[in-house]
Amino acid sequence: MQINTENNQAAIRDLEIATGETISDCYQCGKCTAGCPASMDPSPSLLIHLLKLGLFTKAVNSASIWDCMACLTCSERCPKNVSPAAIIEGLKRIHLNNMEPEINLNSLGQEFLAHSTQQAVVSGFRKFV
Amino acid sequence: MPENMTHVPYYPGCTLKSKALGYERSAMDCARSLGFEMHEIEKWNCCGASFPLTKDNLMGLTAPTNILIETEQHCKERDIDAKLITLCSFCYNTLKRTDFAFREEPGKLKTLNEFLNREYKGNVTVIHYLEYLRDVIGFDNLSKMVKTDLSHLRVAPYYGCLLLKPQKELGLDDPEEPVILHDFLDALGCQVIDFPGQVDCCGAYLIMRNPDKVLELSHNILEEASEYGAQTIVTACPLCQSNLDQSEAVRGEMPILYFTQLLAVALGLETEQHQFESHCIDPKSLISSCKKFKEFSDAK
Ligand code: SF4
Ligand code: SF4
Repeated sequence: MQINTENNQAAIRDLEIATGETISDCYQCGKCTAGCPASMDPSPSLLIHLLKLGLFTKAVNSASIWDCMACLTCSERCPKNVSPAAIIEGLKRIHLNNMEPEINLNSLGQEFLAHSTQQAVVSGFRKFV
Repeated sequence: MPENMTHVPYYPGCTLKSKALGYERSAMDCARSLGFEMHEIEKWNCCGASFPLTKDNLMGLTAPTNILIETEQHCKERDIDAKLITLCSFCYNTLKRTDFAFREEPGKLKTLNEFLNREYKGNVTVIHYLEYLRDVIGFDNLSKMVKTDLSHLRVAPYYGCLLLKPQKELGLDDPEEPVILHDFLDALGCQVIDFPGQVDCCGAYLIMRNPDKVLELSHNILEEASEYGAQTIVTACPLCQSNLDQSEAVRGEMPILYFTQLLAVALGLETEQHQFESHCIDPKSLISSCKKFKEFSDAK
């Protein structure tokens, strides 16, 4: 699902309030991306760059936000105390708040449920549904 | 059971009651053998498994707050220290971060208390089982209680993410170069295999959306551990265990153990109930290669 944003600047302000992050603090050193294990494209630093440029619609509709595993490597290493993981979760939530789950629960199947740990299912629900 | 057993309140979480039953049972058996008894708090709910990363998500804090309140009550009724022990890295992370958030922002606690119509006073210290071993039992003491010879075992400690990050809030160990599991294994007398992948992400809950990616990430960790000479990996997280184990089922034959399962072997305990057989890669032959030291072998 595509999110259409009329006012990019206002959307970025809302994102900052929701996440508690200040986008302009990022100085684009790329350290977050260097350590990110999720091979995200666009990368975490590029997503933040898009936001810094005011391109909220592009950032929020980037498929790579769903690849993030919230491992917190980026947030732990950022020299500017920015949390890319929080910003990415904020972008995900904008989709989920529109009641559009990212995964189809029916497609998970019994096989998955039988073999998964409960914590994977519960976190998955938090992040994708 | 010795009478002066220390009573430690315990939060299991969902996975420890199902997929990771062997983790819980081994941890409890070891605790008893080390002089403390883990008492499950009376009423508990799922912690929500992932701490909400966006600051405004107060709903995500309701579940862990309820657990902290139950813990406070449990301890008050017994007049004991409100130190809550956890095993699963996700539960540990979520509960500890929730408590930290309240310490940083008391306004949040007020809102939550009003919403829940109950009161969390902010007195619980959330700890991990490993922390209890290190800070209360002491690794030096632990090493003196080892009854099984593990000196031939090459074990790689695997930390994953949520046991260590964010360091500012958890404070358990250094997130880039942790030592707690290393020191633990050292105390058990095994050969510790220090490998770079020890803090890499296994893929976590992405297993729900992109299992291939998870298998790839887990595969890389396992491959590296093998290259460094490990025969087995120990972890503290049921999801890491499951992701690594499932990946190993495709790749090779290295067993993935909970650190408490190895601890039980080291302490010479009966491990029949510890569910080794529930792992994809059965560690039995590895375990049976571990023999008790002579002075303990007769006193079975
Ligand atoms: S590490 Fe921090 S400052 Fe550097 S690019 Fe990433 S978010 Fe920006
Ligand atoms: S939290 Fe997400 S964006 Fe950050 S390093 Fe981990 S996977 Fe990459």
